[in-house]
This record gives sequence, structure tokens and C-alpha cells, in this order.
Amino acid sequence: MSLRELFHNTTLADRILFSLMILLSLSGIAFIKDIFPDTSTVHIYVDGHPAYILPLDKNRVMSVEGPQGKTVVEIKDYQVRVIESPCHNKLCIQTGWIRSGAIVCLPNRVVVTLGDPAKHKKTVDATTG
Amino acid sequence: MQQQDKYRIALLAAFALGLHGFENLLPSPIPWLRLGLANIVTLITLLLYGMRPAVMVTLIRVMLASLITGSFLGPAFILSLGGGVASTLIMGFVLRIAPRLFSTMGLSIIGALFHNLAQLSLAYFLFIQRIEAILLITPVIILFGTLTGTVNGAVSALLMKNLIKYDQKVQNETQC
Repeated sequence: MSLRELFHNTTLADRILFSLMILLSLSGIAFIKDIFPDTSTVHIYVDGHPAYILPLDKNRVMSVEGPQGKTVVEIKDYQVRVIESPCHNKLCIQTGWIRSGAIVCLPNRVVVTLGDPAKHKKTVDATTG
Repeated sequence: MQQQDKYRIALLAAFALGLHGFENLLPSPIPWLRLGLANIVTLITLLLYGMRPAVMVTLIRVMLASLITGSFLGPAFILSLGGGVASTLIMGFVLRIAPRLFSTMGLSIIGALFHNLAQLSLAYFLFIQRIEAILLITPVIILFGTLTGTVNGAVSALLMKNLIKYDQKVQNETQC
């Protein structure tokens, strides 16, 4: 029995079921992340010390006081960016929107990191005796 | 149950057990991703002898496999038992209600689907109480389940056809 014969022996219900399952599971893979947005947090450090921990799923604008002045951080649609900064080269503003990683403003000593906190657990890489 | 039925069930359960063991030896990219080769035997039993022998074959296979591998009454055993029994019952049910609606392949896909669903819900209720973790892997599992179910269904269809052909040949020879 060839493959073609095998295909001819399937009923209409078979084909509908198969296509439906493939379609449903593929769309499930594609959309499941939208149904369950990652509940990761935005960490803002000032001068090396943690200053704020904010949820990523709430849009807001946050003003952070650094040594040189105010750095304004915006959280919107699971993205983070720096709007205002007193530093002169504005590298943090040029970084733009980020979905993961970090924005660093060295002159004002503000670090904004983003990501799943479980993945960023501080563990020891190695110890030597 | 007749004596001959017992022999058949024992033989089919041995086939299922063999396939189950063989499947365990195959390397799998993800631990809980299985081919479900034993479902071929279950499906054949269901089509040839009906619901009760199919359930028996499944039970014997799951019990013996867990006893041999040493996972009896463990988590893997519970998942395997739940999935196997659920898929067999559903396939038998569909076959009884609408025997002409689905071919062997469709039945196999239904079996694979309910095997996966039963395992996922068992895993949720017994082991992992995090609904988002379960829902996250559900589409992936169902996708692979549908694919393996289709392949198993194709193999079962080929087997059924050859078995029936062989049966007719034997009958013709005894008549002559």
C-alpha cells in the first residue's frame, strides 16, 4: 500500500481533525506568550545600590534621583527606555527601547536592568582555594 | 473471556511491551516527548477485538513496563497509566459511537490527543500546580502528539490491511 493510497483511505473527518490540531497547536505556540505576559520586573540601581523594582506590565514614568540630577525612566508595553538624563553624551537615551538587557547611564550612575529575576540570580561562577 | 482471547491479549500485550521498551531506548530531544509506538498495538487490538481487550492490553503493558523499569507507582507510572487508559477509552468510545467517521489515522490522532491531555491534566493536579507552566507546553506537546499520532495511525492502517489480507489467505487455504 503506497502513501497515496493511505491518504485516500482517510476520511474527511480525519483531514479536518488533523488540520485543526496542527493549526490550533501552532497558533497556541504563537499566541501563548501574549496570553501569559512575562511578569518580569524592571530593576533600577543608583550608584550600585538597588533603588526601585517595578513591574514591567504597568505603564508608568519614573523619575530617579542620581548624583547629577534626575533620570527619567519610562515603562510602556513591556519595554523600557530613558527619556531624560542630565548627562552630556545621552548614551542612555540613545539606547532607546529595550525588551531585555540593561540601560546604563555612567555619569549619573543609574543602571536600569530588565528581565526575569529568576534568570538573574546571583550565583557564584567558581571558587578557588 | 474465552481461552483464545486470553492468548491473544497476552501476545498483543507482549508486542506492546516490546515496543514500549524499544521506545525507551530511543534518544529523545525532550524527556517527555515520546513516540507512542505502543499505541499502534492498542489501536490494532481495539479494531480487531474491541474495547475490553484493548484496555487489558494497555493495563498489562503499563504495569509490566513500570515493574521492569522500576517506576511502579511513581510519577512516570501514574502519567503513563492515565494517558494510556484515557486514550484507549476515548478511541473505543469514538469507534463505538461513529465507526465510519474516522479512519485508523483519525482514531490514532484522537488517541494521541487524549493521551497528551490526560497526562497534562494529571501532571497539573498531582505534580506541577502552575497552570501557566502547563499551558505553555501544551501546544508544543499537542503538535508533536498530532504528528506522531498520524505516523502511528498510518502504520496501524498498513498493519490492519496486511493482517486482513493474511487472514483471508489463511482462510482460503483452509477451504481448499
